[in-house]
Amino acid sequence: MTATLLLEQVFNGLQAGITLFLIAAGLTLILGIMDFVFLAHGSQVMIGAYAASAVTIATNNFYLGILAAIPITFFCGYLLEWLIIRHLYRRDHMDQVLATFGLILFFNEVIRITFGPAALFSNFPPSLAGFIEILPDTPYPVFRILIILVGLVCAVAIHLFVSRTRVGAMVRAGASNPEMTAALGINIKILFRFIFAAGATFAGLAGMMIGPLTSVEPGMGEPLLILSLVVIIIGGIGSVRGAFIAAIIIGLVDTIGRVMLPMLFRTFMSGPTADTAGPALASMSVYILMAVVLVFKPTGLFPPKGA
Amino acid sequence: MILDLLKKFTTLWVILFLLALFPIFTAAFDLPFWNDVVMRIMLLGMAAMGLNIVFGFGGMVSFGHAAFMGIGAYCAGISQYYGMDNGWYQLLISVITCGILGLVIGFLALRTSGIYFIMITLAFAQMLYFFFVSLEQFGGDDGLIMDRSDFIFIDLYEPLRLYYLIFLTLVFVSIVLMLLIRSRFGVILQAIKSNENRVEAMGLNPLKFKITGYVISAVICGVSGCLFASWQEFVSPDIMHWTRSGDLMIIIILGGLTYVAGPLVGAIVFLLLEELLPDLLHVVFPSIAENWMIIFGPLLIAVVLFGKGGLMGVVGNRFTRPAARKDQ
Repeated sequence: MTATLLLEQVFNGLQAGITLFLIAAGLTLILGIMDFVFLAHGSQVMIGAYAASAVTIATNNFYLGILAAIPITFFCGYLLEWLIIRHLYRRDHMDQVLATFGLILFFNEVIRITFGPAALFSNFPPSLAGFIEILPDTPYPVFRILIILVGLVCAVAIHLFVSRTRVGAMVRAGASNPEMTAALGINIKILFRFIFAAGATFAGLAGMMIGPLTSVEPGMGEPLLILSLVVIIIGGIGSVRGAFIAAIIIGLVDTIGRVMLPMLFRTFMSGPTADTAGPALASMSVYILMAVVLVFKPTGLFPPKGA
Repeated sequence: MILDLLKKFTTLWVILFLLALFPIFTAAFDLPFWNDVVMRIMLLGMAAMGLNIVFGFGGMVSFGHAAFMGIGAYCAGISQYYGMDNGWYQLLISVITCGILGLVIGFLALRTSGIYFIMITLAFAQMLYFFFVSLEQFGGDDGLIMDRSDFIFIDLYEPLRLYYLIFLTLVFVSIVLMLLIRSRFGVILQAIKSNENRVEAMGLNPLKFKITGYVISAVICGVSGCLFASWQEFVSPDIMHWTRSGDLMIIIILGGLTYVAGPLVGAIVFLLLEELLPDLLHVVFPSIAENWMIIFGPLLIAVVLFGKGGLMGVVGNRFTRPAARKDQ
C-alpha cells in the first residue's frame, strides 16, 4: 500500500517538476542572459491556460485549444518584449521588479474583466481521461503521463537546441557574457526577443497542460512563478540543465512532502493539526532547501560556465 | 542640530505636521473613516521607511521585508493569546525578535548579491509565511483575532489615541532615520551602494554595515507590524504575503528612494490611489470600478519608465535650482 502510494506520489512529483521546468526554462534564460528580473512570467502561464481553456470550451476540442494557444502565447511574449521589456534591460533590478509587478496586476485584471473572477473549467477529452497501469495494480492517469512525456520532449528539444545549434551557441554565449557576445557581432536584440517569446510559449504550454488539472483563475501563475524562481536559483541562473535538475528536485520534495509530512506528523499530533502543519511545512521545505543551497553555493548548483 | 534637521528635511516635517493636524480636519468635516485610512498610511509608510534603509540608501533589494512586519504582528498576537496584554512589552518583544531574526537572515542572505539576494530574501519571507500558516494553534491560514493591545496610560479604544500612538511612533522613527542617514554609518552605507569595492579599499568592512542596516530596517518593520496588529485587531499570515513586500517596494519607488520622506510620500499616494481609484473609475467606467488595478498596474510601469527618482524627485527637481539638484 505505502509503496504504491509512494510510486504514485513520485509520478505526481515528476509531473509537477516537469511543469515547473517548462516555466523555469525560459525564465532562467531571461534572468541569466538579459539580467532581467521578470516577475510577470507567471502571467504567461495564466495567459496560456486561459487561451487554451477558452478555445477548448468554445470549440469543444482540447487539441484545437492547445493548437490555438501556442501561437497566442508566443505572440503575447513577443509583443510584451517589444512594447515594454526592451526598455527596461538597462534599468536596475528594483525598477524591473516594480514594472513587472505592475504587469502582473494589469494582466490579472484584464483576465478578471474578460473572463470574470470565477475559475474557468475545461475538461480534457475522454480519450485522455483513462488510467494506465504503470506497475501491476498501480493505475495512473493517462493525462498526467502525457504531461510528463510532453515536458520531457520539450526538455530534450531545448537541450538539443541550446547545445547543438548555432543559435543555441549564441544563447549560451549570451548567458556567459552578454557584452562580449554583442561585441562579436551577434544581434543581441533579436536574440533577446526570440528567447523571451519562446520562454513565454513554454510557460504558456505549462499553463495549458495543467489547466484541466487545477483551476484556471486570475492570479493562478503567481505561486508557480515563485516556485520556478526557486528552481532557477537552485539550478543556477542561466543554466537550462540546472533548471531541469532543480525542477525535478523541487517537484519531488514539494509533492512527496505534502503527502508524507502529514502522515509523519499524525504519529505524534492530532489529525487536524497534522493536516494543517504538514502541507505548510512541505511548502517551507522548498525554501529551506533553496536557502541552504545559496548559503553554501551562492550562485546555485550549476552556474553557467564563465559567468 | 534640530534646526539643521528642520532645514534639511523640510518635506518630511511638513508631512508630519499635517498628519498631526489631520484628526482635527476629519472631526470638523465628520469623516472618521479617513482617520483609519491615514493610520494605515502611517503604518505602511513607517515600514517602507524602515525598508528604505537597506533598499534606497544601502542598495540592497530585499524582497522579503513584509515578513518582519508579520513577525512584529504575531509577537503582539501571540503574546496576547497567552494573556500578556501590555503593548509596551509586546513592542519590546517585537523589537528583540525582529532584531535577532534580521541578524540571522541578514547574515545568511548577504552572502549573496544581485538577483540571488532578491530571491534569498524572498525565500526567507516565504519560509516564515508558511511557518505561520502551519501554526494551527494560532489560527493558521485563518489568522488570529485579537484585541487592541493595552498600552498603559493609553486606552486605545479611544480612537484618536491609537492614531496619536502611531503618529508619535512615526515621528520617532523619522527622527531616528534623519539622524541615521546623516551619521557616519549612514554615509558609509550610501557609499557602499555606489561602490562597495572602494569602501572596502578604505579599510572598512562593508558586510558589517550592511548587516547593521538590515537589522535596523527589520526592527522598524517589526514595530510597524506590532502596531498594525493593534490597528487591525487581527493577525494572519496575509500580512506577510510576498505581494506586501512588493507593495512596500512600490511605495518606496513611487515616493523616491533616495529621500527619507520618500516612502511616506509613496505610502500616501499608494493608499490614496487604492481608496480613490475605485470611486473615480465608478464615475468614468462603472463596469470596471472594482478592477482599479488595471489602471494602477500601467501607472507603476509609467513611473518606472518616465519618473526617475519617484514623486519626490519629480516634484523636487521642478522647484530646486539645477545646481542644487546634485546633493539631494
